[in-house]
Amino acid sequence: MSVADLSTANTAQDPSAPPPLAATRPVLSIAGLVKRFGAHTVLDGIDLQVERGETVCLLGPSGSGKSTLLRCINWLEVPDAGRVLLEGETIGVSTGGVVMGDGQLSRMRTRIGMVFQHFALWPHLTVLQNVMEAPVHVQRRSVDEVREEARALLERVGLSAKHDAFPAHLSGGQKQRVGIARALAMKPSLMLFDEPTSALDPELVGEVLTVMRDLARDGLTMVVVTHEMSFARDVADRVVFMDAGAIVETGAPEEFFGAPRTERARQFLLRYSNGAATPGETR
Amino acid sequence: MSFADVLAILSGALTTIWMSAAGIAIGMPIGLGLALIRWARVPIAGPLVITYVSLLRATPLVTLVLLVFFAMPQLGVTLEPIQAGLLSLVLNTSAFNCEVWRASLLSFPKDQMEAAKSVGMGRVLRFRRIVLPQVVRASLPGLVNEMSLLVKTTPVLAVVGVVEVTRAAVRIGAETYEPLPPFFVALAVYLPIVFVLVSTQRRLERRMARSTAP
Amino acid sequence: MNGFAIVWSERALMLSGLANTVVLSLLGTLASLLLGALLTPVLVSRRRAPAFVALRFVDLMRCTPFLLLAYIVYYGLPSIGLRFDNWGAGLFALVLYNSAYMAEILRGAWMAQPREPIEAGLAFGYSGLRLFRRIVLPPLLLAAGPVIGNQTIQIIKDSAFLTIIALPELTHAASSIQSRRYIPFAAFIVAVFLYWGLCLLVEAAVAFGKRLAEARQ
Repeated sequence: MSVADLSTANTAQDPSAPPPLAATRPVLSIAGLVKRFGAHTVLDGIDLQVERGETVCLLGPSGSGKSTLLRCINWLEVPDAGRVLLEGETIGVSTGGVVMGDGQLSRMRTRIGMVFQHFALWPHLTVLQNVMEAPVHVQRRSVDEVREEARALLERVGLSAKHDAFPAHLSGGQKQRVGIARALAMKPSLMLFDEPTSALDPELVGEVLTVMRDLARDGLTMVVVTHEMSFARDVADRVVFMDAGAIVETGAPEEFFGAPRTERARQFLLRYSNGAATPGETR
Repeated sequence: MSFADVLAILSGALTTIWMSAAGIAIGMPIGLGLALIRWARVPIAGPLVITYVSLLRATPLVTLVLLVFFAMPQLGVTLEPIQAGLLSLVLNTSAFNCEVWRASLLSFPKDQMEAAKSVGMGRVLRFRRIVLPQVVRASLPGLVNEMSLLVKTTPVLAVVGVVEVTRAAVRIGAETYEPLPPFFVALAVYLPIVFVLVSTQRRLERRMARSTAP
Repeated sequence: MNGFAIVWSERALMLSGLANTVVLSLLGTLASLLLGALLTPVLVSRRRAPAFVALRFVDLMRCTPFLLLAYIVYYGLPSIGLRFDNWGAGLFALVLYNSAYMAEILRGAWMAQPREPIEAGLAFGYSGLRLFRRIVLPPLLLAAGPVIGNQTIQIIKDSAFLTIIALPELTHAASSIQSRRYIPFAAFIVAVFLYWGLCLLVEAAVAFGKRLAEARQ
């Protein structure tokens, strides 16, 4: 069973048919995004669009603003200027420029799935309860329907045996896979991954990247902040390289990794290819 | 409220202070002794200590002081209020102190014991020079906490007639028909004493956290 | 011992005292937990003025003997127009005093909580009361359970102080029996064992809560 069967966000079944008008609108559209922390400008006017089914990898050195950009998408960080649109609707600010109320913002957030660097599982709930929690209590879907889907998702990420375990008893890789299943259970239009493997021991990275690669193959719209270069090279449809709060270079992985156009990108790639090969990648 | 009234409250403060000090001074070593009995797993005494501590930690001090003051004559011993009060304070605080000492003893790193054994130190020497100094240091925050709690329970002695701060304040309030001013003077006596103890405890905790930080 | 037979004959009074102690302790714990939970956000607030006031309040309660507070509320406040009966004064003092302690306890537990799972709650569309009830509160209570349990035991013991304002709780009942029937030892010993029983119950509840928490750790 693939994610496509479970996610209603993926509508195009026949690739040869002309896409309906709605499908040509980008899932995510960011314009002029600015974010400051005190006197420090972390994001300096970001423009980005992500089409349906695209996998975009955000790369860049620490402090380049990649995670902040990701967190501005679902307004976990509130931007100081600019707009974020999800499937044509602005997030955080309703039409007319009024800041969204909690209820409206929460509803928009349910359409965006997020996977966190430190997993962020809810410790008082079992694995199955973690996956079922938000669909039942926020989206108010039927418990039986959600339980069925949760079981299917957990099987999909290889954790059927762990339904009744508490997160504290799982390995990092297992926790992150639960985190992915939990986000998918919301049937989001867009999935955000915030350095999903950075907190994992090297030997556990592969199991998570495998799941993510399968999701990308199944047509999930993904924005991934990562340091895993081989993942970006093999799985991304597009690479976005950021430095010092701005997008320096974007392009297909072959272009970016093979023939980077800017000096900063070249230096960044030099640093990473001189170090050990990125760990944990499995074929 | 006249100057004489304030003096009366201050003289009550002296009673509070010396009884607290006595209670602490007597209760702390007894608490250590009880903790050692449990730590050394002495056969019959151990379970007795467990019962004693559990009972006394669950007993309100006011109930205890009433029990001691009124029941002792029934068992043949007549106690002055001050004696009954002091005995109750000691019984109470020794039980709490026992738990503080015990926690430090239990968390004493085993490898230090093994190191001391391996250089041939005997039991008493090991205890005196290796275990005790560190256990004292580790227990300090808990002990100071218990001291501040003891001071805060001393008003209970008024219930059996000991003239300490609170009783003096109550008496003056009843005489002058102005109960609040003497109460505030009483508060002004307790606050600095307890505050000094609480601040000391916080400083000790911070110092310990720093010294044991990796 | 004859004394205990007399206590048994007065068991109605003893049990009513016990019941009042239980009611006082239960109401005191719940109310101070509730008020403490409202005070905690003020304690950690970034707005300096309210946080300062809250911190001073907690310090004041921490340094004040509870018995003195009970006296002030019952005997002192009437002189500025606030008159409580003994139940009102007792509950007021108990709740005022312990809400400061509960606020500190919850603050400590809150500071030790990881932030990410709560952020995840936000990211998944939780907000307001639902976020608090389903995402923030359960791990907080599991972590703070043992300390709250200890505070409950403290509240049970503090309730005994209220005998001085003639509140008919357990110690007052024992006192009354001993002064009328001249059996101090039996009366107070029975009271002591009843307090012991109450505390053992609370400790059992805490142990149960600890097991729940440990399964999730």
